[in-house]
Amino acid sequence: MSALLEVSGVSVSFDGFRAINNLSFRIGAAEMRAVIGPNGAGKTTFMDVVTGKTRPDEGHVLWGEKSQSLLTMSEAKIAQAGVGRKFQKPTVFEDQTVEENLLMALRKPRGWFAVLAYRPSEHDLERVVELAKEIGLSDALTRKSGELSHGQKQWLEIGMLLAQEPRLLLVDEPAAGMTPAEREQTTAILVEAAKTRAVVVVEHDMEFVRRLNCKVTVLHEGAVLAEGSLDHVTSNQDVIDVYLGR
Amino acid sequence: MQRSFIARNPSVLLFPALLALFTLVVTVLSEGFGVGVISTSFVKTLGKTLCLCLVAVAMDLVWGFTGILSLGHFAFFGIGGYMIGMWLMYERTRLIVVQSLSQAEIPPTPTEVVDAIGNQIFGVVGSSEFPWIWGFADSLFLQLILVVLVPGLLALVFGWLAFRSRVAGVYLSILTQAMTLALALYLFQNDSGLRGNNGLSGLQNLPNVSAPQAVVSLWFFWGSAFALAIGYLLAAWLVSGKFGSVIRGIRDNEARVRFLGYSVEIYKLTIFTLTAMIAGIAGALYYPQAGIINPAEIAPIASIYLAVWVAIGGRGRLYGAVIGAAFVSLLSTWFTGGQAPDIPLGFYTIKLVDWWLVLLGLSFVGVTLFAPKGMGGLVDLWTARRTPNRHGADLGPDAGSLREQEAKQ
Repeated sequence: MSALLEVSGVSVSFDGFRAINNLSFRIGAAEMRAVIGPNGAGKTTFMDVVTGKTRPDEGHVLWGEKSQSLLTMSEAKIAQAGVGRKFQKPTVFEDQTVEENLLMALRKPRGWFAVLAYRPSEHDLERVVELAKEIGLSDALTRKSGELSHGQKQWLEIGMLLAQEPRLLLVDEPAAGMTPAEREQTTAILVEAAKTRAVVVVEHDMEFVRRLNCKVTVLHEGAVLAEGSLDHVTSNQDVIDVYLGR
Repeated sequence: MQRSFIARNPSVLLFPALLALFTLVVTVLSEGFGVGVISTSFVKTLGKTLCLCLVAVAMDLVWGFTGILSLGHFAFFGIGGYMIGMWLMYERTRLIVVQSLSQAEIPPTPTEVVDAIGNQIFGVVGSSEFPWIWGFADSLFLQLILVVLVPGLLALVFGWLAFRSRVAGVYLSILTQAMTLALALYLFQNDSGLRGNNGLSGLQNLPNVSAPQAVVSLWFFWGSAFALAIGYLLAAWLVSGKFGSVIRGIRDNEARVRFLGYSVEIYKLTIFTLTAMIAGIAGALYYPQAGIINPAEIAPIASIYLAVWVAIGGRGRLYGAVIGAAFVSLLSTWFTGGQAPDIPLGFYTIKLVDWWLVLLGLSFVGVTLFAPKGMGGLVDLWTARRTPNRHGADLGPDAGSLREQEAKQ
């Protein structure tokens, strides 16, 4: 299987501190991957590199069938190419309704003129209703998203990601602050999404990772420490030493 | 679910209706109409106020909706005024020159006419040559195009440089202040080609028009009201749809918009340039009513006033900007015009002419601290449109996985 995203030999340092050190990572077109690691292991920096927020000092980030380099593209261009990102803290546009949030995320032309002339079609509105149902916010479409609970905001953000129809989903701690029932639904949404696209989940919570039932990459000090099934990596002595054993 | 544009924005109908009513009342009561309850100078004041409301709407678009605190939009306003002023001054001087030269025995050549005009206009700065920027001053049509083109181009170039380097927040505000200051200082020079600190004057006299000022003032009043109505509708349309969603998103969380795939810089540039053009049009309507424009008009403080008006009126709602600009600028006219009575305290007499700016400053601080929604917030009181109740704030590590009700127990 050819890789959708291939990160090779990437290093990033901030003022001499090496946040990422010769990191290599690849993921297929329809694959779920969990990335775990202690604080400061470089998980968020890794996402910043892929989404174009941070430029690495060295290394390559290649994307898609044509092995296009993401390093020369702007954040907006990378997002248009099909990389969606969910932040650790739920970031939705609180001053706008759930519907407006979803409409903004729908996969449509992103240029200012096209957006100015845009009026939602029947089909778009149906899609929004469908998405809202998927994330359990059917009754909340006309509510301001600032009124939603923490978990609902998390879902709305996941819904916005799905609306973007990305080929790669980067999800930072999706289950943080959720009730057990909410976690279960989040797991279901992510597993469903991974059937048709690549999903990378950064997570602290081992129980949640176990439920995702996928390949796990352990990061430590900016590099890959171990990779494999959850049982495989949790039995790895290095992993136990630096992460689980603490 | 999706309601019509008007249903979602009731002020779109209400605002032009009120404006039309206001225009009608002022017209009927004006000297130009024959009743004369409202003096011509006050009609001009009202007309100028409408122009200030228009530039405030532009400011609200760029600051209240997109979150770019530009402290330079009065520069674009002033440029618009200069552009129309050049034609007004050129044409009026030409008519005078042609008339006086026609008395001569030999008819003047075109070159002689142009030289004489140049002498008339630039004699005050010790020159008689036409600078190149006056190249189109003989054509009303071209100068009208320049009214939107010059502010638009300046905003485009400035904005491109600033936004591309991701200059934002207070740094951008300082940069825009520097831009206005540089422009004002440049125009103060005699060799800038725009008559230095004398500025352009006599703009209230329209060439080839014999109507009295009482009537001309009404024309400009109507024009200003019309421009404000159109500007308001345009702004309301811009912020209503998905474009409005995106720019408000940029205001609230720029990075998120970027990761949705929108090119934030292009959007900022679009709105910055567009509002600069609107400001140019407002200026072109304002200065013929004021009669004179000089570089002091685009001093940095003017752009700060603009931000103060919008803040006091209420950011992020278009009628708030209009209310703020009208209220504060009319109040300012009243105070600085010496109409406010002095307050004797026995040991000291408070002259409001002097103390008005202190009052304005204090009310700005007061509004920022205690009523961030400004005067427009009063409207909320009876439409009961409230800020979202921000439930679901992060409960912290201990209660993180609990629902809010559970956590409180």
